[in-house]
Amino acid sequence: MLLLQLLINGIVTGCALGVVAVSFSLIYATTKIFHVAHAGVYTMAGYIAWWLVGRGAPDIVALLAAIAACALLGALIQGLLYAQLAKRRATHLVVLIASLGVLAVIQNIVAAVFTPNILQFAVPWAERVVSFETIRITYPQVLTIVVSLAAYGGVMWFAHYTILGKRIRAVASNPFLAGITRLQPNTVYVYVVAIASAIVALPGVLVPLDLGLQPYGGITPLLTATIAMIAGGVGSISGAFMLSVAIAVLQNLSLLVIPGEWSIGITFFIFVIFMLFRPTGLFAAAR
Amino acid sequence: MDFLFSYLALAAIYVMLGLSTNLLVGIVGIFSVSQAAVFGVGAYVVAHFLMAAEPLSFLPALAIAMVCCVSLNILVTLPSLRVSGDYFVVTSFGIQLLATAVFTNWTAGTGGANGLPGIPPPDVFGYELSSTFQLMALCLCGLLLACGCFWLIMRAPFGRLLRAIREDELAVAAAGKNVLRAKVSAAALAGAFAGMAGGMYATFLSFIDPSSFDLDASILLLTMVVVGGARTLAGSIVGPFLLLAMPQALSMLDIPTTIAAAARQLIYGVLLITFMLFRPQGLLGERL
Repeated sequence: MLLLQLLINGIVTGCALGVVAVSFSLIYATTKIFHVAHAGVYTMAGYIAWWLVGRGAPDIVALLAAIAACALLGALIQGLLYAQLAKRRATHLVVLIASLGVLAVIQNIVAAVFTPNILQFAVPWAERVVSFETIRITYPQVLTIVVSLAAYGGVMWFAHYTILGKRIRAVASNPFLAGITRLQPNTVYVYVVAIASAIVALPGVLVPLDLGLQPYGGITPLLTATIAMIAGGVGSISGAFMLSVAIAVLQNLSLLVIPGEWSIGITFFIFVIFMLFRPTGLFAAAR
Repeated sequence: MDFLFSYLALAAIYVMLGLSTNLLVGIVGIFSVSQAAVFGVGAYVVAHFLMAAEPLSFLPALAIAMVCCVSLNILVTLPSLRVSGDYFVVTSFGIQLLATAVFTNWTAGTGGANGLPGIPPPDVFGYELSSTFQLMALCLCGLLLACGCFWLIMRAPFGRLLRAIREDELAVAAAGKNVLRAKVSAAALAGAFAGMAGGMYATFLSFIDPSSFDLDASILLLTMVVVGGARTLAGSIVGPFLLLAMPQALSMLDIPTTIAAAARQLIYGVLLITFMLFRPQGLLGERL
């Protein structure tokens, strides 16, 4: 029974991580920027929703506002920082350091405004539980699975069947050619980061419903998500999502034998295994 | 006077760390946020051997710590550098988080979150160094050693190889040089510097806890190199001296203590962004 409970917990965490991985993968595959500050956007979403709920806003309004704010934040990061750096022909390393700077700024603004302590959402329905015999699933967990799967399906549909999605994939596969054919890569980059930031707001709000908010809590999920992205094969949306679920399930099952505070070690171990034996990932696109 | 001495000693330690970060980030061009983890390993190893039932003296303990840090850095960089620079970002974040987890949770070896108090003062060739002045002198000796080492390496063919790799990796590989080996050697050297700094830090403060070696500390190191200037000796010296003076300057402003730590990290973040946007070469460095 414990096994089943851990399995379900793993699937819930994995779905949320999957959305983080998918959104990160969108940015990384298109702009080629290792957007470390994504962890900051993820954290920001939860705090905006928490603040609005505390002010008496309806839950759904808080979620939508967090999504909108994150999209705006993402667009600002791309438009004001990354685009400027690209204009100055900054090297990859410079962009990475700047991104780390943004992460530090966001996290510490949050820590200064909301204190570095763990905050819990004051949402009554978040306490409710669906239980089968001894297995307990909280409402936020159910919601996380549903919303994450919907977000994953939405991204797949968006990337393959909409004009903007096709434009993004065109820019991702060859920015130079996309530039000549007036697909305007620089505008597309702003869209991509904004969309990905909006998507990451979903787990950013839903996960803290269950586990609480912490200003520095975005780094571990992002790290796990990037590992899933690499293990799934960079550029493969389904690969990133599936590997996120697999890693989270493995992590949760490992709780049977290894205490929880070492779970980062498990994640990292998986990464090293992939580095050694399959560095291109499981579902890498043919090159 | 003691205050000035301890500022100098700490600055000297951070210059060694700055050189270590500079080697990786500035000279080879690998993004790394795990230097504080390596620094921590050095500190804990030295503390362990000095406080063991049959204590070693300081220099052998320091040597062991440096060997540990060198092997750690080789182990860490080898698999990921084989693949791509971006994968090393994941590796370095992973190592940093993993190290913090070990420092905090392995209570038997590291004292956990409470840290390790009562690390004995260092002894050099039988002399015990206990006053702040003597400790500062020891740290300055370490500083001179590290700076001399860095300067010599940058003049040597190996230094030119490292610079060439940063300029054009493909061309270097085409010229028949082993790029991976050069990168890993640089990382190993960076590990040696960080290990030495760690050992001196542990004995200088006589108390270590995980908060000195977390991700924030790594970001501070990166900020030091970025502000001072990458790829030059002068840059790695100026950065730590400036940034270590900053908390003192901040304490004159009226910031509530609850948000002081966050405010400090916030400033480091702003510095990173501003320097990358407007002056990627830092104060006294070369273009990143």
